[in-house]
Amino acid sequence: MRLLEIAESLKMRAGQCVAALSLLEEIAIREGKTIGEILDRPSLRRIFNSAGSGPGRVREMLDELRTLRYPRLTRAAQQLAQKVAAIKLPAGIKVTLPRDLASDEVRVEIIAHGSEEMALVLASLAAKASELVRLAAMLSGVDRGCEVE
Amino acid sequence: VWIAAAKSNDAQKMKFQLDTVVIEESCRASALAGRILSGTPASVEVRYVIDGRIAARPLADGRDHFGAGKRRMVVLTRRGSFLMGCPASSARFACCGYLVLVLASNCPMDCSYCFLQEHLANNPGFQVYANYAGAFDELDRLTHARSGRSFRIGTGELADSLAFDSLTAISRELVGYFSEHQNLMLELKTKTDEIDNLLAVEPRGRTLVSWSLSPMRVFAQSEHHTAPPESRINAARRVLEAGYKVGFHLDPVIAYPGAEQDYLDLLDCVFDTLPGDAIAFFSIGGLRMTPGLRSEARRRFPSDSMLLGEEVLGEDGRYRTFTTLRFRLFAKLRERIVKACSDLPVYLCMESASAYHRVFGADPPIPASLGAELADH
Repeated sequence: MRLLEIAESLKMRAGQCVAALSLLEEIAIREGKTIGEILDRPSLRRIFNSAGSGPGRVREMLDELRTLRYPRLTRAAQQLAQKVAAIKLPAGIKVTLPRDLASDEVRVEIIAHGSEEMALVLASLAAKASELVRLAAMLSGVDRGCEVE
Repeated sequence: VWIAAAKSNDAQKMKFQLDTVVIEESCRASALAGRILSGTPASVEVRYVIDGRIAARPLADGRDHFGAGKRRMVVLTRRGSFLMGCPASSARFACCGYLVLVLASNCPMDCSYCFLQEHLANNPGFQVYANYAGAFDELDRLTHARSGRSFRIGTGELADSLAFDSLTAISRELVGYFSEHQNLMLELKTKTDEIDNLLAVEPRGRTLVSWSLSPMRVFAQSEHHTAPPESRINAARRVLEAGYKVGFHLDPVIAYPGAEQDYLDLLDCVFDTLPGDAIAFFSIGGLRMTPGLRSEARRRFPSDSMLLGEEVLGEDGRYRTFTTLRFRLFAKLRERIVKACSDLPVYLCMESASAYHRVFGADPPIPASLGAELADH
C-alpha cells in the first residue's frame, strides 16, 4: 500500500503526513527496508483495514510507527508503567516518570486535605517505599526488571 | 579506508586528501609551512593570503562546506590563547579537569556524529597554527603560577592530535617539551594509527596517547577515513612498549541493537592486547547531540543508521539514548573494565553527577582533582 493512498483513505492532515513520512524514512534506514515493506507489516495493515474512524486510525498508525521507530524505549516505558500500576498506590499519591525516559527522575506527588489525610497518605507511601525504590532502580537501568536489550 | 593522497615519493607522508593548502603571508617562512609544503604532493594547490582566518570560512559555492573545509589546510597565526578549558566542561556535568591546547582546528577524518560539524560550521577550514611555539610560553606561565598542581593537557578536542602529524611533526616538539615538565601530562587523542613520530622521541612518562574506540559496526558505518579499531589498539600497544602511557575513550557509546555485546567484545580485544594495569584510564560517554548537530549530521550522512538511534531530548537540550538503556550500557562497560583490572580509573564524559552516581555508586570527584589524578596516574 502506498503512503499517498493511505493518507487519502484516512484523510490525514499535512502535519500528520509529514510526521508519518519522517518516521517511515527513519525506520527504513534503521532496518534497511523500503517504506513499502514497512507499510506492509501486519500491525500497520490491521490499522489501515480496520473499521474505526479516520482520525482514530491515524492516531493508531502514528503510535505504531513510533513504536517501530523507538522499540526499546516503548518496551521500557511499558514495563515501567506496568510496574507503577502494580504498586497500587492509593488515591492521593501519584508517580510520574520522566517524559521519554529522558532522565532518571521519578516524581512522587502527594495530595492530602487536612492532617489526618496527610498522615494516612504518608503511611501508605512508607508502606510502598521498597517498591518505589525498585521502580527508581528499574528506571536507571540498574535493576534488570526492565529489559531494554 | 585510508585515503592515499598521492603516489609520488614526496607525498607518501600524507595519508589524507587535501585539495588546497592556504598559507598566511606572515607564516610563509615558518618552519611549519616549510614542513607542510615539503610533504604535500604537487597536485595540491598552494595559495598565499593576507589573513588565513578568511580562508578558513565556508566557501561561497558547494553544499558540504564542512567536508570541503577538511580538505583545505590553512596555515596561519593563532591570534587568541592556545590554552583553554575543555569546551565540553560544564557545571551540569561530572568533568575530568581536562585542559585543551588548541594547535589545530578541524580534522581530516569525518565521523558522522562529530560535534565539530556544528562547532566549526562558521570556520570549517582545517587550520594549523604556525606560531604554536607560543603554546609553550603559555604552559610555562601556567606551571609557574600553579607550581604545586598537576595538569592533564590535550590537543585532541578541536582536532585529532595525530592526523597529519606525519606532515607537521608537531608531536615531536610537544612530547619533548612535556618530557621536561613533571607536573604536566600531555594527552594526544586520536583515531589514527599515525605513531611514527612518537616512536622517535622519548616521552619520559609525561605523554599519554589515547584512542577513541568504537566497535567495528560503528567504525564501518560512521567513522570515515579513521583507522580500524584493531589498528588503533595495536598502535596503543606499540606506543606503550615505547614508553608512553595509553588511555581509551569509549566515546561516543552508540546504543544500537546488539551494542552491548559489541562493546564488551571490543573491551576483550583491548585486554587481550594490552595488560589492564598498563592502561591509564577509560572514559565513557554516550552519544549526545544538540538539535543543530543532529540535523547537520543527518543532512551530511542521511543513510547512517547510527544517527537514528533511540535518542530523546534531555534536560540539557541534547539528544541522548533514553536513560534506562544508556545507564545500563555504561554500568556493563564499567563492570567489564573493573573485572579486567580493578584499580583502572574509569570516568564518564558529559554526564551528570546523577549519572555518575548511578553507574559508579559514588559521587563524582572534583574535576580539578580528577584531572590531577589522571595526570599523575
